[in-house]
Amino acid sequence: MSDLVLKIEDLTKVYKLGKRDVQPLTNLNLDVKKGEFTAIMGPSGSGKTTLLNIIGCIDKATSGKVLIDDIDVAKLPESKLYKIRRDKIGFVFQNFNLVPYLNARENVELSMELAGKFQGQRGERANEVLATVGLSGREQHRPQRLSQGEQQRVAIARALAKDPAIILADEPTGNLDVTNKREIVKLLSDLNQKQGTTIIMVTHDEQVAMQTHRMLTLRDGKISEDKVCGAASLDNQPSEAIEA
Amino acid sequence: MGILTRVTRNIWRKKTRSSIVILTVCLALTLLIVLPPSINERATITQSAVNSLVDYNNDVTSSVTLSATEIQCEYGYDINPSLFGTGPIYFANGLMNASMYNELVSIPDVATVIPIFEDLVTANRSYEIYGVPLGNSSDFKDPSIMPSNITAGRNLQIGDSGVVVVDDVTAKNYSLSVGSSFDVLGRNFTVVGIEAWSPAQGYCVTMNLEDAWAITNTTGQATKYLVFVDNVDSVNSVVTRIQSLDPKLQISSGALQLNSVSGLQSQLSELTNSDQSTLSSIQSTGAAEICLAIAAVVVTVLFMMLFSVRERTKEIGTLKAMGATNGVILGQFMLEAILLCLIAVVIALAISKTVLPTLSSLLLPMPVEIGPGLAPYPNGTMYLQPNTVGYSKTLILPGHETNFLAASITPQSMLLAVGVALLLGALGSLYPALKAARTKPAEAMRYE
Repeated sequence: MSDLVLKIEDLTKVYKLGKRDVQPLTNLNLDVKKGEFTAIMGPSGSGKTTLLNIIGCIDKATSGKVLIDDIDVAKLPESKLYKIRRDKIGFVFQNFNLVPYLNARENVELSMELAGKFQGQRGERANEVLATVGLSGREQHRPQRLSQGEQQRVAIARALAKDPAIILADEPTGNLDVTNKREIVKLLSDLNQKQGTTIIMVTHDEQVAMQTHRMLTLRDGKISEDKVCGAASLDNQPSEAIEA
Repeated sequence: MGILTRVTRNIWRKKTRSSIVILTVCLALTLLIVLPPSINERATITQSAVNSLVDYNNDVTSSVTLSATEIQCEYGYDINPSLFGTGPIYFANGLMNASMYNELVSIPDVATVIPIFEDLVTANRSYEIYGVPLGNSSDFKDPSIMPSNITAGRNLQIGDSGVVVVDDVTAKNYSLSVGSSFDVLGRNFTVVGIEAWSPAQGYCVTMNLEDAWAITNTTGQATKYLVFVDNVDSVNSVVTRIQSLDPKLQISSGALQLNSVSGLQSQLSELTNSDQSTLSSIQSTGAAEICLAIAAVVVTVLFMMLFSVRERTKEIGTLKAMGATNGVILGQFMLEAILLCLIAVVIALAISKTVLPTLSSLLLPMPVEIGPGLAPYPNGTMYLQPNTVGYSKTLILPGHETNFLAASITPQSMLLAVGVALLLGALGSLYPALKAARTKPAEAMRYE
């Protein structure tokens, strides 16, 4: 097995919008190594979210290859894709997408329950990842009783709980204030550095993107720029720097 | 934390909506629980009434056909209030003496004359003494003179003497049973049979005519004569001859009865048709209401779950992005609907017993119509103007008993209701749940 966790070859996506064909991705190629923290940037409509959805197996490529841990998910039918989503992918959404009637621990446990983990394992692991994201003592709180920053931490803990091959974060700081934005980016950065978690993050915020290893810019369905970043600690950045 | 926890939490989270759904489904399920036993009960009652009417009609017809050559003659009721309760024996109809018997026998074309003796209840005695001839088989030419509905022991038979058949009310009043010794006007009789009380017969102790004569000291006399002629053609001439013996005599004949019977039969036929149409009306109304209730449950669940699926599209997308299978999504939504129906059916079962009679009478036609000429008696018996036709058998028409409309919900019907509720919950939620399960995660995530 190679050290690539993700390899994309000639990925094209076409979909219908009314009578018109829209092609958000055109012959896109991309390699992501294990443990890499990658940011994807680009203007609205450049295909960032479409790319993330295809990597996350919640959308299908029109053509090309998408290999996750050497499995070409572009060829898999829906009946098998759920296993990839369940075992290999952890999603973090802009709007957190927590289940409102479950508390923080239950939300985290849910991803493990779907992955078929036993209840005993689930509880222990949920407490562990909630502690990792700094939410010890908040396990019983439901989403509406948590701040937005805390909700996003729960969402990260949920993605992290099942040890996925890749965490896909779709504008995880998009709905957060400056302080929370900084903390979430720092958390993702720490997870990547300390636990070697592979993270692919879509963001509009260049300052946030600068905290990753690599910054890709999408334009017209292709990667127009692939830049190595410093991944410097956010603690050294002034708050204004990461303000949108 | 499993699927059940998620489902119950979601039901609890949407308390108002869940309550409305539970209430609606509960009302519909109450109908489903209440209607089948009520329809069944009413159908049974009505069918039974129809059968009774048909049997009665047949009985009347055969009785009249049998007695086509029979002429009954008696004095009409001539009640003298001063006599009532003053003596041990009271002859309401007036007695015809032995010479009348001889005159009747001597009329040409008369084949047989059967004397009947009947006194009436007095203040000291709450039963009538009824004497019927038991000398030979020709005395049974009109079987209606004999006790007709023996419930214990046996009926009177040829050659019986010193024995009686009593009606069950009299038996109870005097603590009598088969084999008991019974003192009637100073003479001991053995009770050989108990007959069902009927309004036509009244409280009655039936015995051999000879015995009745002996204890009432009226030998040779009768309150009624049954005159049988050789053939139907002679009935009218014999009636004229009898009437000439004493103009006060009240005479009825099989031929006269036939006219009344045709009226009775058309009345019975009308009642039968009316009850049969009631029966089909009960069944069709009930079936329509059941279909409506089923549709109400399915439609309520369907729309509620469609709304829920639409509202939770993003949650569905999130679950699918996390690796939930179609089965997990399908199961969660169906379980939610089934659980709501389960709660509804428990409440419906709890209230059904109380509301059953009210709902039943609101939703279904009454089972048996009381037609003209029918008078209800206690315990469901109906008295069909017997005097007008000379036919005195009581019509037992069900549907007017004191426990009328007492349909109940059995454990089997409770289990069935639970099963139906689960099935309808599953049925109503199937389409929305499938829709949820088939939602494409990317589309669901985009849904606002």
